[in-house]
Amino acid sequence: MLDISVIFDIGVVALRMLMPVYAIVIVYQCYAAMRRRRRPEKPLVTLYNPATGLKLPVLFWENSIGRSKSSDVVVDDSAVSRNHCVLLRRKDGWFVTDTGSKSGTYLNGQKTRGRTRVLIDDTITVGNSDFEFKRGEEYDENLRASWFFSRVSNKPAIKSWKLMLLVTIFHFFMCVEAMYWNDGTNIYSPLALFGALAAVEWGFFFVSSFILRRVNFELEALALFLTGTGVMLLVRQVERSAYVQLIAAAIGMVLFCVIIKLIEDPDKVNKLRFPMMILAVGLLLMSIVFGKITNGAANWIYIGSISIQPSELVKIIYIFIGASSLDKLQTSKNLIEFIIFSVICVGLLALMGDFGTALIFFVTFLLIAFMRSGDFKTIILAVAAAAFGVTFVLRFKPYVADRFKAWRHVWEYAQNEGYQQAHVLTFIASGGLFGVGIGNGFLKQVAASESDLVFGLVSEEMGVIVAITLAIAVGALVIYARAITTRSRSTFYSITACCAAGLLVVQLSLNIFGATDILPLTGVTFPFISSGGSSIIACWGLIAFIKAADERTYAVKR
Amino acid sequence: MKRVLRRSTLIFAFTIAFICGMVYFAFQLVMNADDWVDQPYNAHISGSGGLEQAGAILDRNDEVLAQTVDGERVYNESESVRKALLHVVGDNSLNISTAAQSMYRSQLTGYSLIWGLNMPQSLRQSSDLKLTVDAKTCAAAYDALSSYDKKGACVIYNYKTGDVICSVSTKAYDPQAPPEITEENESEYEGVYLDNVLSSSYTPGSIFKIVTAAAAFENIPDIYERTWECSGSEEIGGSDITCVEPHGTVNIEQAMAHSCNIVFAELAVEIGAKKMNETAEKIGLNMSFDVDGVNTIKGHYDVSKANTNQLAWSGVGQYNDEVNPMQMAIICGAIANGGKATNPRLVEGGADSILSAIGINSGKDGREMFNADTAQKLDELMRYTITDYYGDDLFGGLTVCAKTGTGEVGKDKEPNAWMVGYSKDEDCPLAFACVVEDSGFGFTYAGPVVEAAMIQAAKSLGAQAVS
Repeated sequence: MLDISVIFDIGVVALRMLMPVYAIVIVYQCYAAMRRRRRPEKPLVTLYNPATGLKLPVLFWENSIGRSKSSDVVVDDSAVSRNHCVLLRRKDGWFVTDTGSKSGTYLNGQKTRGRTRVLIDDTITVGNSDFEFKRGEEYDENLRASWFFSRVSNKPAIKSWKLMLLVTIFHFFMCVEAMYWNDGTNIYSPLALFGALAAVEWGFFFVSSFILRRVNFELEALALFLTGTGVMLLVRQVERSAYVQLIAAAIGMVLFCVIIKLIEDPDKVNKLRFPMMILAVGLLLMSIVFGKITNGAANWIYIGSISIQPSELVKIIYIFIGASSLDKLQTSKNLIEFIIFSVICVGLLALMGDFGTALIFFVTFLLIAFMRSGDFKTIILAVAAAAFGVTFVLRFKPYVADRFKAWRHVWEYAQNEGYQQAHVLTFIASGGLFGVGIGNGFLKQVAASESDLVFGLVSEEMGVIVAITLAIAVGALVIYARAITTRSRSTFYSITACCAAGLLVVQLSLNIFGATDILPLTGVTFPFISSGGSSIIACWGLIAFIKAADERTYAVKR
Repeated sequence: MKRVLRRSTLIFAFTIAFICGMVYFAFQLVMNADDWVDQPYNAHISGSGGLEQAGAILDRNDEVLAQTVDGERVYNESESVRKALLHVVGDNSLNISTAAQSMYRSQLTGYSLIWGLNMPQSLRQSSDLKLTVDAKTCAAAYDALSSYDKKGACVIYNYKTGDVICSVSTKAYDPQAPPEITEENESEYEGVYLDNVLSSSYTPGSIFKIVTAAAAFENIPDIYERTWECSGSEEIGGSDITCVEPHGTVNIEQAMAHSCNIVFAELAVEIGAKKMNETAEKIGLNMSFDVDGVNTIKGHYDVSKANTNQLAWSGVGQYNDEVNPMQMAIICGAIANGGKATNPRLVEGGADSILSAIGINSGKDGREMFNADTAQKLDELMRYTITDYYGDDLFGGLTVCAKTGTGEVGKDKEPNAWMVGYSKDEDCPLAFACVVEDSGFGFTYAGPVVEAAMIQAAKSLGAQAVS
């Protein structure tokens, strides 16, 4: 009764069922490894008040000292300002900076001006309180760690090279599937692509481990897993763009390293801010002047045969400009400069018709503005202004609304405006939990299936479990970025990391929900997975901020 | 730093929105996946590809209407049956979207949410689908209907159980050898993918007098005491309403039996636009009926903007009145049932019938179309129409109540011939509706089709009257 073909079919089905489990294992291992090998939760230094005998732990690289309950070091003294001064650690030691307090900050009896170096056993005076600057070991109580880092089992984390091996084998399985579902002309082309992909992956791994001598590779492994999956998906679609994607990813990895190096010193970042603003506006203006209209948005510029989407790269700059170190945050509370810059960026994007990216920028603006100021009024004002702007656009340019008329009615417009979304839904359902096999799908024949609709493509060919796992892999970056917030070397890193993760989640949501008709289709990319050179470069650039926020990136070397 | 940490909670707002979206998507997927899959462009199941492993489709007596043999889709051996049930069963394409092979494609091909359509053929499980139709009755109806070479429809359903016994739509083609429709022959096959029983609406003509009569019974108390004078033509609202011939002095029963336009036109005007609309709403003329997931096309009756002459014409099924054959069968079934409609069904088995077998109503309760009293009076009128006018020996001993109609469509087309009604026999409770487009007098064209179909249906049900 059981003939050979049945046994063979069972094998194919078994492989397909293996892939979702395997994807979950990889994502889990990446995040599990991120939780491990942390320095224990101990104060960096201790402030000792001889008058009261109180010991205050100084936990972070940048600490606000003041009367405000939300200060990192709370001084209950009416002569102390709410945000009195900042105690911060840099490569060459500890410093104290007065942040516009009424009574001033004194070091060993001398009033400080600007950033002043603090040595062990120095006395810092704020208001009527004196603090002796002691080593961290002086503090002898236990501290609680963030839940992400607490209760980590004692088992050592998976070795980076093993993690890499897991990722590579996953991509190899994808390659096997793609070879199985060949169209008879190019059976071995997936193998060639896999070879190139493996070379890039391991090349990056060796550069990171042996040239840059970094210990940790989990975040990169996760990004490589996602990137490689996107590349392998393209092999049965447009083989050429698979290689373009791979090259762009390699450029992205270089950018990743460059950005980490560039922002190594959070104080020097300030000098770059203004040139970066000019660059960002210049890039956006360039797309307006030279941009070609594709899918209703003029966000592409062509240089010879290369097309780039400058708005993707501006995302990185935007986040870079928005953040700064704690002493700067406390002295210049003014958001005006940043708000003007944001209005220009969002305005230019709307002018291009790139509403998806404009929305991403707007949400990122909210995040940055709130993390800097903590001011709900600014947020509400911004949302109100945006709502007004949208109403205004819809009132005077009704054709803009036409672009979204198929939203929630895709089955009525299945042959025209809702064509893409209707196909996505049909083929997601056809794929079931385990997919129909890479290269065996039909969504690949629909325009933009490899970029805007890639969630559908993954669901159809690899199953909805893999698709959701990939989405969660991106989405969980938020948890990681937030968990390392207080472990960063400066608020500059905390803010950039959280905003980068937040931006990726918003972009992810717009992509998935746009393709599945939960939100209007705005044509943004699925981070790391969607085909698109500028997009993948931008994604790698963005996670550089998350990597930089991990204090071990700069501190620990092999 | 603590402050930044606290403020970073805002990103969780977006994360939560994302999670909610994913949950919503997953919910949508679970609820609607089988609908999403059943699309004509879905290459995983379209072409004959998807049907290579599909289960069989059977009629009520387990006669095979379509099955897969060695990877080929094979339809019933009789050409009449194949053509008669084209619109119910469907063909290899998904062109006839209301047919079972389109509607139930995912079940037939073994679609499941977990496996999608990715199961290798050797492991795929497909299931059979049993329909309520009777192949012989459909073939009889088709043979009679197709002899005119016109577009038309004939439907018969059991108004007690809801089983659709016969559903035939012309023109049809042979699903075993579908024609290649090109520019040259496309006029011949115009509308061939449409099931006229469910998806077409027609000018009703005199069959609409059933509705006008219902409105009259409910709004004019002394209706039985009245008589009318018909001279063949009468001016109402500035224009003439005409009858085929002068009917002389008639009461309501004779007016119905002889189909006197003038009486019903006057009644419509007397009842008034508001009450006429109310009756039409109650009967559900402007709504769509659900037949196992297929929604019938909506009929149309609205005289709120009509002038007096138009209101008069609307009472005899002209003006802009439109009805659908399935809808008319349901209305006739409701009269037979004492006013309450029974929802028709085409598929046997399924969750609904399991529930009804153990005595739980599935909640899709039939519509209350007429008061019991009105239904009783309509029943008498329609019975009288047969006994007095057409003769009672038409349907081989079945006790039939009916009304014919000739719907004028104007221009250069012949009228729609209609016959609607039902049989009252306990062992043969069937309601029917038949329409032939572009033909002529209602009884002349629709009559023979109904006769052939009803007699065969009664035989298939084993009714005593025809044995």
